[in-house]
Amino acid sequence: MADDETPSQTQESSTAREFSANGTSMSTTDVEAKLDKGNIEEAESSLRERLSLNSEEARTLLGRLEYQRGNVEAALRVLDGIDLQAAIQKLQPSSQQAARLVLEGVYLKVKSLQKLGKFAEAAQDCTNILDAVGRIFPQGIPDAQVESKLQEMISKAVELLPELLKQAGKYQEAMAAYRRVLLNPRNLDNDCCGRIQKAFAVFLLHSGLEAGPPSLGAQADGAYVPKNNLEEAILLLLVLMRKIHHGDIQWDPSVLDHLMYALSLCSQTPVLSKQLEELKPGVFHRTERWNLLALCCSGVGQNKAAMNLLRKSLHINERPNDLTALLLAAKICSEDSQLAAEGVGYAQRAVDNAKGVDEHLKGVGLRMLGLCLGKQAKVSSSDFERSRLQNEALKSLDSALSFEQDNPDIIFELGAHYAEQRNLNAALRFAKKYIDITGGSVMKGWRLLALILSAQQRFAEAEVVIDAALDETGKWEQGPLLRLKAKLKVSQSRPMEAIETYRYLLALVQAQRKSFGPMKIDSQVEDDKVKEFEVWYGLAALYSSLSHWKDVEVCVKKAREMKQYSAELVHTEGFMHQERGEIQEALASYINASLLDPFYVPSKVWIGALLSKLGSNSLPVARTLLSDALRIEPTNRKAWYHLGMVHKDDGRLADAIDCLQAASMLEESDPVENFRSIL
Amino acid sequence: MSSSNPGSPSATAPSSSSASSFSSKAHSCIQALSSILSTVPSSVSSSSSLLHDPTVSSQISTLLRDPDSGSGDNNLCRWLYDTFHSPDPELKLVVLRFVPIVAGIYLSRIALRKSLAGFEAILLALYAHETTARDGQPISVNVPDLTQPSIYHEAKSSVKTQATELNLAVISPTLEPHGTMRSSRRARIVGVALELYYSKISQMPVSSKLEFCEFCDIWATGIQNKPSSSSSSKQKTILLPWELLQPSLRILGHCLLGAHKSKKLYEAASIATKSLYERSLHDIDAKAILATSSLLRLEKMALDPKLNVDHTEIDMSLAL
Repeated sequence: MADDETPSQTQESSTAREFSANGTSMSTTDVEAKLDKGNIEEAESSLRERLSLNSEEARTLLGRLEYQRGNVEAALRVLDGIDLQAAIQKLQPSSQQAARLVLEGVYLKVKSLQKLGKFAEAAQDCTNILDAVGRIFPQGIPDAQVESKLQEMISKAVELLPELLKQAGKYQEAMAAYRRVLLNPRNLDNDCCGRIQKAFAVFLLHSGLEAGPPSLGAQADGAYVPKNNLEEAILLLLVLMRKIHHGDIQWDPSVLDHLMYALSLCSQTPVLSKQLEELKPGVFHRTERWNLLALCCSGVGQNKAAMNLLRKSLHINERPNDLTALLLAAKICSEDSQLAAEGVGYAQRAVDNAKGVDEHLKGVGLRMLGLCLGKQAKVSSSDFERSRLQNEALKSLDSALSFEQDNPDIIFELGAHYAEQRNLNAALRFAKKYIDITGGSVMKGWRLLALILSAQQRFAEAEVVIDAALDETGKWEQGPLLRLKAKLKVSQSRPMEAIETYRYLLALVQAQRKSFGPMKIDSQVEDDKVKEFEVWYGLAALYSSLSHWKDVEVCVKKAREMKQYSAELVHTEGFMHQERGEIQEALASYINASLLDPFYVPSKVWIGALLSKLGSNSLPVARTLLSDALRIEPTNRKAWYHLGMVHKDDGRLADAIDCLQAASMLEESDPVENFRSIL
Repeated sequence: MSSSNPGSPSATAPSSSSASSFSSKAHSCIQALSSILSTVPSSVSSSSSLLHDPTVSSQISTLLRDPDSGSGDNNLCRWLYDTFHSPDPELKLVVLRFVPIVAGIYLSRIALRKSLAGFEAILLALYAHETTARDGQPISVNVPDLTQPSIYHEAKSSVKTQATELNLAVISPTLEPHGTMRSSRRARIVGVALELYYSKISQMPVSSKLEFCEFCDIWATGIQNKPSSSSSSKQKTILLPWELLQPSLRILGHCLLGAHKSKKLYEAASIATKSLYERSLHDIDAKAILATSSLLRLEKMALDPKLNVDHTEIDMSLAL
C-alpha cells in the first residue's frame, strides 16, 4: 500500500501523486490531464483498466484526487456518477470493506458540499451516513482493522453533522443532533467528545435560541438535568474543565474563557475561583492567576481575600505595575479606612503607570487617590494631618475631574467632600450637577442635595427636593428618603407631620418584610430587619425629642426585636434617664452604649458632658472623652460645645473660646443627617 | 394627527387567534405606517416582510433619531406602542426589532431634559409584557456541583442528597409592576426590555443587531462614531449599572460568537466589546472586567488559524 499523500491544494502539479490499489500503483498525471479536459468517463476507464477497479472504486479515487487538488465542484461531479444511495441500500454487514468505501465516498461528497456552501444538502447526506451505519452495524463494527478507519470517519461524521445543521440555519435540529451524540457518546474518543461538548456549549451560550429541556426517557434517574441553555452550557463547560483537570483532554483556554463569561453573567465568580485554583501550575503565570482570582473575589465582595491576592501579585518582585491590579487594589482600599493608607500607595502607582495606551485611566487613578486620601483623613491622629490629607484628597479629585469632566462618580465625590468640609456653596454646585447628569436615577444624589440644603438651613427647599426624589424612586427604596423627610419636618418644628411620615414608612417597611415571601435570600431578610430597626429607632429618637417617654419605650422595645444589641437604643434609653433626672442610670446607659460600640460618638459626648458637671476632678476625663469623640467625628458641634465648657471650667479661656466658636460655626451649617452617611 | 389604533382592546376580535385575523391586523398596521413614513414598498404585505424590509427599517430608524422623536405625541412612538399591543406575535417582533435604537436614544437623552414620554410608553409596555409573561418571578440558573451525576457525566456521589443543594444564581430578579418610569427604576426597565430583545434575538435582522452594537459603543464611551450624524459627536456616557450591563453583554456575546455569518456585525460587536472592556476598567467593575476580557480573548482565539483546525477534514488517501 502506498503512503497517504498529504493533500496540498496549492501545489497541484508539483507533488507527485500516485494511485495505488490491488498491488499496483500508477501516477496521476494522465488522469489529471483527462479530468482537466472534463473527460470523466475516460479518466474512469483508464483507472479501472490499470488498477482493476470497479466503477465505484474508480470514481471514489477520482473524487478524492479532485478534492485533494481543491477542485471541489469537479469532485462532486465525479461522485455524482456513483449511485451512492443505491450502494448504501445494498450494503451488508458482511462486506465491511465495501461499506467503508461507499461511506467514505458519501463523506467526501458531504465535505465538498460543505465547501461549496450547500449546507442543507451536506447535512442530509451526513445524516444518511449515520443512519446507514446504524442500520448495518447495529451492534458496532466487528472487524477490528476495518473498524478503526471506519470508526474514525464515523466520529468525524458525528462531529460534522451538528455543524452543518448550524451552518444551514437549522438550529433546533442542530441542538437535537448535539444532544443525541452527547447523551450517548459510546465510541467517541476523549478529544472528539470534548470538541463536540465545547461546540455545543458555545452554541447554547450564544445562539440566542432556547433549546428547551432534553427529552431523556429513562436516562434521567437521579442525574441532574439542566433546565435552560445557560444551565446546560455551564454544565458542559464544567464537565470539560473536569476532563482538563484529570488530564483526559488537553488544556484549552477557550473553555475557561467561556466559563468565565457565563459565570460572570450569573455573578457566580466563586465557582470560577475554584476552577482556577484547580488548574495545574504553569497553565497561567502565577501573577495572572492571582489577578484573575482577585477579580473573582472582588466580584462578589470578598474583599479581604482579593486584597491578599493583590498584595502578592503587586509585590515588588512580581508584577508591581499591573494597572488593572493597582486600580482594583486602590478601589478596595478606598472603601475601608484601615486600608486607606495602603490604598494611597496603589493609587499613586496607578497614576504613575497610566501612560501611553493606558493614559485614559489616569483620571481613574486620580479618583482612587482622592478617595483613599479622604478615607485616610478620617483615621488620622492629628488635626493637622487630617486637614492636610483632606486638602490632598480634594486636589486629587479636582485633577481627576479635569481628565473626566463628565464622570458622575467624581462629581458626586467632590460634592460630598466639599459638604463634609462645610464648603456648602461648592458642594451644592456639584450635587446639582450630579443629579442632572444621572437624570435623578441615583438616590444618594438626591440625599446629598437635600442634606446640603438642610445644612444651609433651607429646610423647605430640602423638603421639596426630597418630594421630587420620592417621585422618582420606586416604592421599596423610599426608606432613606422618608427618614430624611421626617427629620426635615422636625427641623421645621412640625413634629406631628414627622410622626406621620414615620408611620407611613413603618407601614411600607413592614409590608416589604411580608411580601416576596419564600423567594427571599438571607441577606434580604437581614436587610429588611435593618430597615425596620432604623424606622423604630428613628421614631424613638423623635419621641425622645418631644419627651413622649412612654412612646419612646414602646419604640425601643420594637427596635430591640430587630436588633438586640444596639448602641443607639441603649443611648436613647440613657437620654431618657437623663431627661428624667436619673443621672446615674443615664451614665450607666451611656457607658454601656460606648462598650457596645467604641466608635459611637453621641454616648461619648454625653458621658463627657455629664462628667464635666460632677466636679473639677472629672474634668480631665471629660476632656479626654470629648477629644476622642472629636477624633472620630470632627464636625460634632455638641462635642465642641461641651469641650468648650470643660476648658472654661478649667480656666483655659482661649481654648474655650476656640471650641465654642467652632461649635457655633458648625451649628450654622449642620445637616439633619451626618454627611458621612452619604459616602 | 393620531393614527388609527389597530391593537386596541376595544376592537372586537373573537377569532383573534386565526391567521386571517392576524393578516388583517398586519395589513391595518402597515396601512397606519404608510401615513407616517414617506414610502412603504408594496412588497411589504405581511408582518414578517415588515420585520425584514430594509427600506421600512431605515426610514423608521432615521425618524427615531430625529431630535424630537421621543415626545408623547410622536406618531411613530404611538404606532410602535399600538403595534406591540397587537395579539399577533410577529407584529410584536417588529417592535422588538427597534428596541436597541429606542433604548439607545432614550438613555442618551435623559440628561437633556426633553420630553421622552413616547419612548417611555414603549419601554414600559415591553416591561409590562415581560412582567406578565414571567408572573413577576425571577429567573434563576442552577450552577451544578459535579459531585452529583448529570446527563453528561458520571460521578460517584457517595451521599445521596435528597434535595440537591441547589446553587441558584439569580440572573434576572423579581419584576414588580411599574406604571410610570421612575428614574431609579429606569435602568431596570430598560434592562428588562433588552432581556426581552435577547429572548427573540435569533429572529432579529442583522441591521437591528448592528444598531445595538452601535449604541453599546456610545453608552460605553460617549463618542458617536457615525460620521453621518449631524449632532455633535460627543455625547455623554450613561451610567451602566449591572441591570443594563448584563443583558447587553448577553446580546454582544451573541453578536460576537453566535452562529451568524455577517462580517459587518462581527466587526461592530468587536468594537463595542472593546469599548465596554475599557469602560469596565474605568469603573473598576470586576464582574464586567471578567466578562468583557473573556469575550475579547475568545474573539482573538477565533481568529487564530492554529486554534481552528478542522478535525472533520477527511484523510485523502489515493490508495485503496
